[in-house]
Amino acid sequence: MGNQTKTDSAVLEIDSLTKAYGNRQAVSSLSLSVKRGEIFGILGSNGAGKTTSVECAQGIRRADSGQVRVLGKDPIKERAQLRGRVGSQLQDSNLPDQIRVAEAVDLFADDRTQAKMAMSNWQLDEIAKSKFGGLSGGQRQRLFLALALLNRPEIVFLDELTQGLDPNARRTVWELIEKVRDQGATVVLVTHFMEEAEVLCDRVVVMAGGKLVDEGSPAELIERHSKGIRMRFEYDNADLDWIENVPGVTGVTPYGTEVGVTGKSQVIAHIGAALIQRGSIPESIRVDQPNLETALLKIINPNGVAHV
Amino acid sequence: MSSQVANPEAVSQLHSSESHSSESHSSEPHSSRSSINQVLRLFGTEMRLFLRESQVLIFVFGFPVLTVLVLGGVFGNETGDSGFENINPQAFYIAAYFGVVLAAIGLIMLPAHVASYIESGVIRRFETAGFATWVFPLVQFMSGIAFAVLGFASLLATAYLTYGIPEILDWPRTLLGLGLGTLAFTSIGVALGVFMPSARAAQGLGLTMFFPMFLLSGGGPPPAALPDTMSTVANWLPLSHVTRAIQEPWLGLGDGQDHLLIVFAMLVVATGVWMIKSTRVSAAA
Repeated sequence: MGNQTKTDSAVLEIDSLTKAYGNRQAVSSLSLSVKRGEIFGILGSNGAGKTTSVECAQGIRRADSGQVRVLGKDPIKERAQLRGRVGSQLQDSNLPDQIRVAEAVDLFADDRTQAKMAMSNWQLDEIAKSKFGGLSGGQRQRLFLALALLNRPEIVFLDELTQGLDPNARRTVWELIEKVRDQGATVVLVTHFMEEAEVLCDRVVVMAGGKLVDEGSPAELIERHSKGIRMRFEYDNADLDWIENVPGVTGVTPYGTEVGVTGKSQVIAHIGAALIQRGSIPESIRVDQPNLETALLKIINPNGVAHV
Repeated sequence: MSSQVANPEAVSQLHSSESHSSESHSSEPHSSRSSINQVLRLFGTEMRLFLRESQVLIFVFGFPVLTVLVLGGVFGNETGDSGFENINPQAFYIAAYFGVVLAAIGLIMLPAHVASYIESGVIRRFETAGFATWVFPLVQFMSGIAFAVLGFASLLATAYLTYGIPEILDWPRTLLGLGLGTLAFTSIGVALGVFMPSARAAQGLGLTMFFPMFLLSGGGPPPAALPDTMSTVANWLPLSHVTRAIQEPWLGLGDGQDHLLIVFAMLVVATGVWMIKSTRVSAAA
């Protein structure tokens, strides 16, 4: 926090944040910094403290100790000055069942022009008169995203935004999030979907048991916590020794008429080249690329307690 | 990109129409919407939403009007009935049913509505959208007053069309009773809603409180028909004091002074309760 360069570019700074509910420690000594213009992911299992952290960042929960600065302001004491500069879609925040879509947009928009634009841009006109209680999951999320971005916020908190959406709608929302970031907004994304984090996030932190247990770009986390690429291909020759000498190979395991190979990312090309050189081109090669999900599973166990 | 969900290009244009640069926000709050604007917008929305709730329409408008028509028809309009303090029973009930409208607002309409908003996360959305924490309870307070006025109007219209509107003998005190009673029960409604754990609990509590108060505080049997125990219970019920604060000056049964003081005390306590609760950061409690 004392680093001037970091402070200049940070739109969200959390320093030693601690929050407990009774005897349960929800967040413990969390420190992180989100830079302007990035999509920043907060990952972790259920109960890891992700939502509590963003709630504290938005000033709707008071931390037991620690400091939170959003756009250089205290989100509780300087709440009025942050009004309109912060957008959000938090888990469990809702609308009245009886409110119509157009009424909701009007209610939260700064003015009628902005409301009209949002209705049109988010294709809400077709459901303008529908009551919120009658909307599908996808329609609700579309409305929520429109509301979160209504007043052109500088930083947007999105908590499990794509939960309940079908794969097609989810990818559409991803594109929208990237577009929003491309226009200069900072996005803080809380998600359970590792693919979503891998596609969208510039940097992520992983929380477990209320603590930050790792951070970096998705690629860095994958590199750090995965065993590398796994390949499996048909090879009925008993001679496997040459494979161990291929650059990048870290392990060779025979499976009957197949052989499994693990190694670093360049191993695919080297193995392919070696097979061609030997004139032994297999009918099929299956490649298992490491991803953020496998990395995350290495970082946290199913009980949410950190290994690292 | 599917066009079925939204239009990213258009969204992109929307965002590019104004820069996100820190300079554009560095010195002044972004939102041009004042707190007063927030209050007015939310008030308009809430009034529409209340009018879509069948329970509100039934208890604030339907129940008082139908019940006063039935009781007025049963007991008639003969003056000199000691059971009604020598007052024409129809006049007695019409004045009393202004209190029933207030009970419907303060015990049924507002508590369930406020509690449901808290329970389902609607308040949370208002907070994250930058609404000041006091805006929502204030708007509920305003909505309660507005519905009281509408409820009074429906009662007066009913009386005018059927048994006639009883002559108001002491206008200032009658209006004071109506005003303080409205404020007190609206405040009680908001306070109950703020403290109820769920909409279901608020609804259950509201109905449990409403019917005994309705029956014992002037809307049910003639006061003289109540046994001593029931009369004692009635004297402790908030609605009894509101009803008497309206009835006494209206029908010349007294000046309603003591009842007005009690109603005022109820108003102060209930308002204090919801104001303290609502000015705290919701989840920081």
